[in-house]
Amino acid sequence: MSGHAAITVHRSREEVERLWRSSDHRPSYIDGADAAVRFADAPGDRGTEIHVDLERDLPGGRLGEIVAKLAGGPPLAKVKDDLRRFKAHVETGEIPRSDATPEGELAERKLKQRPAQPLGDAEREKAGVR
Amino acid sequence: MRANVWSGRNTVQVENVPDPKILNDRDAIVRITSTAICGSDLHLYDGYVPTMKKGDILGHEFMGEVVETGRGVTNLAVGDRVVVPFPIACGGCWSCRHELYSLCENSNPNAGIAEKMFGHPTAGIFGYSHITGGYAGGQAEYARVPFADVGPFKIEDDLTDEQVLFLSDIFPTGYMGAEFCEISGGEVIAVFGAGPVGQFAIASAVLLGAERVIAIDRYDYRLAMARNKAGATDTINFADDPDVVEQLKALTGGRGPDAVIDAVGMEASHGHGALHAVERVKQATRSESDRGHALRDAILACRPGGIVSVIGVYGGLLDKFPSGAFMNKGLTLKSGQCHAHRYLRPLYEHIRNGAIDPSFVVTHRLELGLAPDGYETFKHKEDECVKVVLKP
Repeated sequence: MSGHAAITVHRSREEVERLWRSSDHRPSYIDGADAAVRFADAPGDRGTEIHVDLERDLPGGRLGEIVAKLAGGPPLAKVKDDLRRFKAHVETGEIPRSDATPEGELAERKLKQRPAQPLGDAEREKAGVR
Repeated sequence: MRANVWSGRNTVQVENVPDPKILNDRDAIVRITSTAICGSDLHLYDGYVPTMKKGDILGHEFMGEVVETGRGVTNLAVGDRVVVPFPIACGGCWSCRHELYSLCENSNPNAGIAEKMFGHPTAGIFGYSHITGGYAGGQAEYARVPFADVGPFKIEDDLTDEQVLFLSDIFPTGYMGAEFCEISGGEVIAVFGAGPVGQFAIASAVLLGAERVIAIDRYDYRLAMARNKAGATDTINFADDPDVVEQLKALTGGRGPDAVIDAVGMEASHGHGALHAVERVKQATRSESDRGHALRDAILACRPGGIVSVIGVYGGLLDKFPSGAFMNKGLTLKSGQCHAHRYLRPLYEHIRNGAIDPSFVVTHRLELGLAPDGYETFKHKEDECVKVVLKP
């Protein structure tokens, strides 16, 4: 299992690297995965590129890979979730939530969308919204 | 609250659903006073847009009164009267900073789904399938508006809802379509489709200084509105003569229009003959999602070196794109969901100073509970329907 994902954040490299390590922005999946993270200046006014390479095989070989998928989607999709959430958090100050995807970008939600109508109180709590 | 929900192909129904709540600091809740059915809602209604789910609240053209704001919204106060632009835009990403609001990089929490279909995600849109985020729409009593510090536009004048409601989508969309045509005076602009967006594309081309504007549709009552209200100088009814390309050349001394606006999109009906039959079958069997007669004829009719402006909505794949005509005639193709936020202030000024009264498109006014009738009337062009406004 290997793969590459990248995103560009509309902020300076210094700020992106600082926030990437800060406790309230730290991307939890990438942090726990065996991933190489690289930052680069994007051309012109485009900000900073974040490149993530998932390098090593997951423990357990092919079976481990299947287990990982069952546990929460393919690792690369989880990496992309982290990148999108980090970008949104930095650029907007929050994690965008819709009625269909109240947790914010989430690989597990892709095939299990809620209908686009407001959540009841219990559902809101479950999705981690106050 | 009551809301109009999609419940399968060709079916909508008004149901009771939970009231929306603030989910993020930059949200606001709006009590809706007027909302409209858009031609693009018919693409959802007809089942041509994938990623719809039973229970989705429809509607992306709405306005109302702010009833609650999140902690991060300081520009709006409870009681403000606002029009809400249909794309949801964060204001902070590179695209938003460059006024490409419908391409906001953050407002679509289903970016992964959108990326699979389009290569990249595009902005969230209210009530417009899950590929644009899965946000509840505005054909309801209330709506949650994310990034409310960026989108909603305050109305402080004594204008009626119907005069300002269409700032939410179809007026800016038509205007952007005309702006794409780079009108500097003396142009001939052809507009495929005299539905609500087409009417505003025509009116905008006139505002921007086009010398002649040709409206193309299959309904005389829509062409009459185009001529009498929007300002079209010529009309073509393709129900009378389906060869639109030849008629456009005949009206322009053989040159072809300087720019052509496609205000039709994926459910074009003016095709004829064998290709149209093939496309109906392919679309019905989902092997081609978009019918493309309007776009093909736009390319074939446009004068060499001209501009083809696409504001009609397409959703997937199109067969038989006339690439030879497009390339050899040196055409420029411009398109996009409208960057509505850009146009709110300037178009509001046009309404205030009396240059245009957008309410001319309204033909039907219904209580929200009658939304299903509104969809049927609009879809089948019954009762000379052009635009349906719903009152919650």
